Amino acid sequence: MAEAKQETKRRMTRKLRIPPVYVTVALLVVVGLAFYLGNPNFLSFYNLNTIISFSAILLMVALGQMCTILVGGIDLSVGGLVSFISVAFILLIKPIGYIAYPVCILAGMFAGYINGLILTRIKIPSFIATLGTGGILTSLAYLVSPRPVNLSPDNYHVVDTVVNGSLLKVSNVLYIGLAVLILYFVILRFTSTGRNIFYIGSNIKMSWMSGINIMKTRNIAFMLSGLGAALVGITMSSIRYGGDPVVGTAYVLNSIAAVVVGGTALTGGTGGVINTIFGSVFMSMLDNGMNVVGIDQYLQQAILGVMVIIGVTLTFDRTKTPIVK
Amino acid sequence: MNDTSNAQEAVLELGQITKEFPGVVALDRVDLAIRRNELVGLVGENGAGKSVLMKIMIGLIQPDGGTIKLHGAPITLKNPSDAIRNGIGMVFQEGSLVPNLSVTENLFLCHEADFRKLGILSLRSMRAAARELLTQLKLHIDVDLPVAEITTAERQMVEIARLLWLSKLYGQENPVLILDEPTTVLADSERETLFEILHELKDRASIVFISHRIQEVLENCDRIVVLKDGKNVTEMAASESRLLKIEQLMVGHSFSVDRFHRDGEWRQAEKEILRVENLGKAEHFQPLDFTVREGEIVSLIGLVGSGKEAVCRCIAGLEKADTGGTFLDGRKLPGGSPSAAVRAGIGHIPIDRRSEGLALMMSVAENVNLLVLNRLKAAGFLSPAREKKNAHHWVAECQIKTPSIGTLCANLSGGNQQKTVISKWLSSRVRLLILDHPTRGVDVGAKDEIYKLIRKLAREGIGMLIMCDTLEEDIGLANRLLVMKDGRLVKEIASSPEQKPTPQDIIGLIV
Repeated sequence: MAEAKQETKRRMTRKLRIPPVYVTVALLVVVGLAFYLGNPNFLSFYNLNTIISFSAILLMVALGQMCTILVGGIDLSVGGLVSFISVAFILLIKPIGYIAYPVCILAGMFAGYINGLILTRIKIPSFIATLGTGGILTSLAYLVSPRPVNLSPDNYHVVDTVVNGSLLKVSNVLYIGLAVLILYFVILRFTSTGRNIFYIGSNIKMSWMSGINIMKTRNIAFMLSGLGAALVGITMSSIRYGGDPVVGTAYVLNSIAAVVVGGTALTGGTGGVINTIFGSVFMSMLDNGMNVVGIDQYLQQAILGVMVIIGVTLTFDRTKTPIVK
Repeated sequence: MNDTSNAQEAVLELGQITKEFPGVVALDRVDLAIRRNELVGLVGENGAGKSVLMKIMIGLIQPDGGTIKLHGAPITLKNPSDAIRNGIGMVFQEGSLVPNLSVTENLFLCHEADFRKLGILSLRSMRAAARELLTQLKLHIDVDLPVAEITTAERQMVEIARLLWLSKLYGQENPVLILDEPTTVLADSERETLFEILHELKDRASIVFISHRIQEVLENCDRIVVLKDGKNVTEMAASESRLLKIEQLMVGHSFSVDRFHRDGEWRQAEKEILRVENLGKAEHFQPLDFTVREGEIVSLIGLVGSGKEAVCRCIAGLEKADTGGTFLDGRKLPGGSPSAAVRAGIGHIPIDRRSEGLALMMSVAENVNLLVLNRLKAAGFLSPAREKKNAHHWVAECQIKTPSIGTLCANLSGGNQQKTVISKWLSSRVRLLILDHPTRGVDVGAKDEIYKLIRKLAREGIGMLIMCDTLEEDIGLANRLLVMKDGRLVKEIASSPEQKPTPQDIIGLIV
């Protein structure tokens, strides 16, 4: 009797194991439909275009965030980094023009490298390490420019030709997002470093015992996060023709939420690029949909919070982690 | 089972207890009755199922089948605190006290409310109660000392005192105390004291005593229960049994080397792969020397704590030795670096494959390919086709039974997980493989396949250093045995296919 009961229980749990991506997609459809019923314009071409553009931006930082989460860490400094790069980029265009792009990208990766070093050399958990560096970067952003700074119209061409341009009627932001997507996909799928990110996140002790270079891999994961954040800083400033020292704040939680709602486990080792695409689209759609439907501004954060919790409840396999920190 | 006329009432009765873990039956219809005022000895080799049985008795693990009766009434023990409420408690091998709290605080942990006076904790009455409790156990120590500063023997006493106090608190007059190998960490004099106290405690408690030292079980217990491979072998009054008989029962009746696929054509190779020179690590093992030759299986034998594990950890680079060094194919290894050891060609199959050997949430293919990613690249990028090919090759070669190479390792049985770990090292072309209890938690059929695999590795010239679950396995597999005791290499015994020593020859050297 008891055995039979246990057997059915076992069978049930086996049956319920649906890949998280499908759950995210289902959630996406359900919530999208709800917004459509609230306001048919939600599915208008113009609005969908907006959602996709915002998804592309969130995706860049979320993919970087995903690398740090996959390797078993987290990057809370992305917000500070986006803000800092945002103002630094605008200020740098004036003296150095197009060179601001590579400089800002390298600066972002350098910040990620520092995060990695604090984790691997000083051995401070990434949660604390990046909380610290995030604070430093936020301060730096304010020190560089306490108020939002606008790009002088003489230099508009620098951003118009790259980020704000379009090809075949599609905004360049989408192409940049797509390029970043392909880059991260290739790194994670086709390089040993990418594979090592998964091994370390899945079982760090085994990885160490198997001779994987944990220090290098973790540093690279954090550099990838810095890269994503830097690209978002550049893109945001380009779209707005100006830098803003608070523009990054929302990206800390939104990037983590996008990764986790997509089904990447916070414990590391499982998940991937595809998951994060849907997670990013979901988060951007929520943000946009609530405005389209006309939900009260003060209520939006609460609904966002509820949806994130629901999303994670459905996608995160809690059976494998008896203790959740 | 109930052969005697039940003159004594059974306090706790386990009937037909069965427990299965993925791929292995840990307990197969085991019976155990514990009577009033009795000291029961429970013996069996590692992996015989003693710990699982004990964990079921204190509600830490739920059995898959069978009944537990307390004073004749069926009962379900949900968790350890439920068990202690019913008067069943355990002193764990590794201890379960909080080191930075005082003896008093540990004794009454979570029950401080009983010492409240007008809502305020009365430390004075707590201390007095602690002293009284410990005096009963003939322990005279400062009850304010943090537990970290008292000896292991004293800690055990404190744990026993706590269990006695708790069962009294819950109104249990005849508690069942389970002691999991309490004597392995004690000095001789401390051991005597422990037994003295246990004999006194028999007046008001039943005690289950687990030990590897059969001699002391014979001398002190009233009844002995022998477990083997998760089954009851026998139980007998201690007065009726002799050391040799129990040893035989533990090891099994038919010791046969054939089970281990003896290789008739095996010849001692000349070329040595591993040379260990003067390797030593303070507090773990004394400097020692030995070699492993091509295709040779060398077994390290000794009790837990004999230092054999530390030797292997030093060779695998997981720990740094204090003196001496290891040479692989004549080249000295830096030591203390697993990646250097792996690059040189030393593989390590850890005892705990789930937490140290595998990425459980990744596929079989990804685990098999872990060490050889660089060989699976085309034009600088990992080639999915080559990955698949390599994984398929090794899954077939090592006979890993898996629905597909994309199956997560977590969903494989213990034996197939172990084969996955082995194939991971094989594909990297190791020279020396350290096998730490390769058949731990693996069922009989899969054990056989792992033995075959080990033989095959030997034929391919890989040198192996193994530590096994049973002496039988050590002798059956190895070509040479190195016996370790208390951190020293005490003896080297040849174990050629033609002439194998018997477990009885060796057990005396170990204990």
